[in-house]
Amino acid sequence: MTEKKTTAKKKTAKKTEKQKFVPKIVAFACNWCSYAGADNAGVNRIQYSPHFRVIRTMCSGRVKPAFVLKAFEMGADGVLVSGCHFGDCHYIFGNYRAVELFEKTKKLVHLLGLEDERLRLEWVSAAEGIRWAELINEFVDQITRLGPSPLSENGKKS
Amino acid sequence: MMDVGRHPNIELYTYSEVTHVEGKAGDFRVTVRRHPRYVDEDLCTGCGQCSDACPIVVPNEFDAGLGARRAIYSPFSQAVPNTFVIDRESCLNDDFLVCENCRKACERDAINYDVAPQDVTISVGSLIVATGIDVFDPYTMKTYGYSVSQNILTGLEFERMLNASGPTQGHVLRPTDRRVPKKIAFVQCVGVRGENDCQYCSLFCCMNSVKDALLAKDHAPEIEEITIFYSDIRAFGKGYESFYNRTKERDYIKYFKGKPSKIVEDPASHDLTIYVEDTLTGKPMEVVSDMVILASAGLPSSDTLKLADVLGIELGQDGFFKTEKENAQLLRSTKEGIFLCGCASGPEDIPDSVAQGSGAAAGAEKYVADFRLPETEEEITPIDVGGPPRIGVFLCHCGINIAGVLDIETMEEYVRSLPNVVHVQNDLFLCSDGSQKLLQEMIKEHRLNRVVSAACTPRTHEPIFQETCARIGLNPYLFEMVNVRDQCSWVHSQEPLLATQRAMDQIRMAVARAQWLEPLEQKEISVEGSVLVIGGGPAGIQSALDLDAQGFPVTLVEKEKELGGRLRFLDRLLPENVPAVDLLQRKLAQLKASGVRVFTETEIKEVGGFVGNFEVSTTKETLKVGSIILASGSDVYDPKDEYDYEKYSNVLTNMDLEGIFAQTDGGEALINGTKPKRVAFIQCVGSRNEDNPHCSRICCPTTVKQALRFREQGTDVAVFYRDMRTVGHGAEEQYRAARGVGVVFIRYPDDQKPVVTKSGKGLRIQAFGTMLNDTVNMEVDAVILAAGMVPKEPDTNTFKEMLKVPRSPDGFMMERHPKLGPVETTTDGIFLAGCVQSPKSAAESMAQASAAAGKAASLVCRERIKLDPTICRVNEALCRGCRTCVSICDFHAPELVETSPGIFVARINEALCKGCGTCAAWCPTEAIAAQHFTDQQIEAMLETMLEEGL
Ligand SMILES: Cc1cc2nc3c(=O)[nH]c(=O)nc-3n(C[C@H](O)[C@H](O)[C@H](O)COP(=O)(O)OP(=O)(O)OC[C@H]3O[C@@H](n4cnc5c(N)ncnc54)[C@H](O)[C@@H]3O)c2cc1C
Ligand code: SF4
Ligand code: SF4
Ligand code: FES
Repeated sequence: MTEKKTTAKKKTAKKTEKQKFVPKIVAFACNWCSYAGADNAGVNRIQYSPHFRVIRTMCSGRVKPAFVLKAFEMGADGVLVSGCHFGDCHYIFGNYRAVELFEKTKKLVHLLGLEDERLRLEWVSAAEGIRWAELINEFVDQITRLGPSPLSENGKKS
Repeated sequence: MMDVGRHPNIELYTYSEVTHVEGKAGDFRVTVRRHPRYVDEDLCTGCGQCSDACPIVVPNEFDAGLGARRAIYSPFSQAVPNTFVIDRESCLNDDFLVCENCRKACERDAINYDVAPQDVTISVGSLIVATGIDVFDPYTMKTYGYSVSQNILTGLEFERMLNASGPTQGHVLRPTDRRVPKKIAFVQCVGVRGENDCQYCSLFCCMNSVKDALLAKDHAPEIEEITIFYSDIRAFGKGYESFYNRTKERDYIKYFKGKPSKIVEDPASHDLTIYVEDTLTGKPMEVVSDMVILASAGLPSSDTLKLADVLGIELGQDGFFKTEKENAQLLRSTKEGIFLCGCASGPEDIPDSVAQGSGAAAGAEKYVADFRLPETEEEITPIDVGGPPRIGVFLCHCGINIAGVLDIETMEEYVRSLPNVVHVQNDLFLCSDGSQKLLQEMIKEHRLNRVVSAACTPRTHEPIFQETCARIGLNPYLFEMVNVRDQCSWVHSQEPLLATQRAMDQIRMAVARAQWLEPLEQKEISVEGSVLVIGGGPAGIQSALDLDAQGFPVTLVEKEKELGGRLRFLDRLLPENVPAVDLLQRKLAQLKASGVRVFTETEIKEVGGFVGNFEVSTTKETLKVGSIILASGSDVYDPKDEYDYEKYSNVLTNMDLEGIFAQTDGGEALINGTKPKRVAFIQCVGSRNEDNPHCSRICCPTTVKQALRFREQGTDVAVFYRDMRTVGHGAEEQYRAARGVGVVFIRYPDDQKPVVTKSGKGLRIQAFGTMLNDTVNMEVDAVILAAGMVPKEPDTNTFKEMLKVPRSPDGFMMERHPKLGPVETTTDGIFLAGCVQSPKSAAESMAQASAAAGKAASLVCRERIKLDPTICRVNEALCRGCRTCVSICDFHAPELVETSPGIFVARINEALCKGCGTCAAWCPTEAIAAQHFTDQQIEAMLETMLEEGL
């Protein structure tokens, strides 16, 4: 067997192994924009990955580091925080505060020894159903590629 | 839209037309023709199965013909009501053919083909016309080839293309080959401002193109070049100029001054060649582009003429509804009791249209004040919810919308096994009247103290379920909703197993959260029925008069000796040339005849309290009011030594000139004792520069007005400008008139201001004329500086502190939201009117003042207001007084109080807190509970989600 073929084979083997891995992803969505954007995806029947669970908060500013840490400590493979675009937050500056808090969260997550890519902060407006769907697909892909979180049951096993 | 659809006091007639009106202000009888939808509004759930069954496909009007729809359809995805409608023109079902696919497809039997139009007569006190505009159709314009080339779109069509829910899902694609274009060109002023076009300026198209240019590149980074062909970029509104400046920094956006003469498509490549004169060299130029967007102007909406006839109101020369011009009232039609707002009276942008809507409503209030609906409420005995949670879960099929994808049976079985769930039930349509009654019975029968429904989205249906619970005495905050339709069955329909799994997980999370839900009581606070207006300029006077007309006690506080603000110093007002003093006299007479209490030479010392209960101490007396309107105006920029203003007496500001004109009493205006032979204006003095990046909006129209006045007395006029931004009703027409009577307009470059030097008794002005491509030297007798508006200091800052209202980056007071809340502020109960918010004309200031009055009235007309209990609360035992929440909250809700000597704790004012929960996220000691979204509630969801896994 040539070397090329071996790597190719390894890759497929790895792929099938990874395909079995179904990530656990928490998505925090603010009520006024992101959650509404997710509804908009529904109204337009846009199909996207079901491998995540949503928690609705009134504003992205509500998502405190402890929630994210708890999620990771309990074995989440990825956490998404989503709010309104700047200037659109129902509470004017809530999403700016979310950014400040997110910086702290990121540092803490880093301390847990997790990859930065497991945590994301995004903006999706009420009209951006497509964006929401694409974002979820992309994030699910990203986390699937990363594999299980080292803190999760799956991760500890492997 | 949803708010309108759900409001108990708003009756919505969609798909209907006003056909006849009789009576007078206070007592109109209006005939409304209701066109049949053939779909019963009460039965239709908006599921769309009928549409899927329909065999007919036609172009979709909403997507400007770029997309397709069926003969039975919902106009767009956020339509209110979300009832489908049959377009009988394209429907197959007529006398000869029978299709009936949709009727058979509808599970709720909502479709009936045999409905005739129906006339209803309603009695109203007042009418508001908000019929907007139509967009100019460039189809007939041979020169631009819109009818020939598919790659030429109108601005509106391009908007749809950029929209994520539009025909191309937000992808920028060239229609002929569906590839991303490399080059896009925007052509401005299509259908207006040309020789044979409408004469007005359509106002919103400049910013629309500027914005779309930016968005296009965001959507398709492959785009290499975007050229905007313009006459003047009219970035006049609040924040527009800085937005425009940001686009100028992008190297892929090119601004080209010039209006193309024709656009020709290459039949083979479908590329477009734009023929335009290079204004720098005067030579003809050809620019090739992949796609062209025509910024089509707004026209009076097609039914304007017919409607004017039905309503008995007049139209202006421009074809829009005529306003009460002699009193500079933009919101009044020519007939008492009929109001205008938005584009009905001429093109407007969204912020102004929204403000005008509120203003028109305030005007209309006067005629309906007697009908004000009492807020009724019945007594209900609350259900005792103590003891362990007894949760009932209700699963909705939503016809086949949910049940067609999710396995309801499995779900039901699973949910039964969840802790504390004592009852599970499924239902075909949970929101139907019958099912809601059944839900109430189940609450009683099973003594449920928590209710969870798995159905559509809480954003539309949570209030309905909450009300159902509240009606039988179950605290509505003990209800929890899971979205298994919009965010599950509809979006994972290809994977029913995984979708069912996701639905079960989300229900389990909701059940876990439900255990922690707490009953919350809506607190009520009383509201003072009076209003304070600060500032006695045209805006303040208008607000006070409007509120008085509706019967509210108003106090108007002015710091100067006389009322009138800037109006006292102005000559004639554009565009109707009404003398400012006349208008002011009429306003003051009205004020005198009204019940408004006026305090002049009075200042505000302190403001305390909150919405409904402000306590204001002034230098005269202390007032208790329910609401405050801030109308303290702006200052005019002082040029100091710019252009040697302070040195030479023949360098004046526009404001100085107004004074001179006002003194002449119709005679000739003299500068330094003589009638000037020739004068020059310099635009944008103190505006659109580094210190004041905003455009002052009123100086261009003012210059045109003053130039015309000079021409009347034979004085020659030259205007040195950057862009002529003659916005506002009639201003563009005056600009054209000024050019007609020989006023010379010379455009100078943004980065090269004209130079003024002394020359004998007169002045010499030197500037580079970009259109002439040459330096201009001109001897003039006087130079007029078109000084812009700046925030009034120190007042603006004082009010920022006192009222806790933030200032925008331009220094003016900040509105809550430019489009959604243009007169509101971040502080409930405080509203803005006039130039304190942003520069505008007197007419525009008064229209906005009416809007502020309307907002204040809708607050103080209530004796009590209910406070939303989903707000934050401090557990004082845990608080260590660190002030984090105090500094983090932009609504100034938390406050430190000294509970015992030296011990400070935070307290959150329930009337100020909006419930975003940001402080709860920041509090280092977890002392703050974001009610209804508490830490336990959210953590319970996380725990159960992650414990059991996906
Ligand atoms: C050169 C020039 C030409 C113009 N030409 C036209 C025109 O032709 N047509 C047109 O429609 N518009 C014109 N305008 C615009 C017009 O003047 C304004 O739109 C209008 O005056 C704004 O009204 P206002 O009530 O918001 O503010 P103002 O008129 O400035 O009134 C504010 C009032 O509040 C009072 N006040 C301020 N601070 C306090 C305080 N702390 N306590 C109590 N009271 C306070 C002030 O004394 C003043 O009386 C022109 C403006 C300028 C500068
Ligand atoms: S002169 Fe005034 S209105 Fe005209 S562009 Fe300059 S700042 Fe704007
Ligand atoms: S942040 Fe928390 S501890 Fe600090 S003052 Fe506010 S409530 Fe008290
Ligand atoms: S409400 Fe969406 S981020 Fe604040």
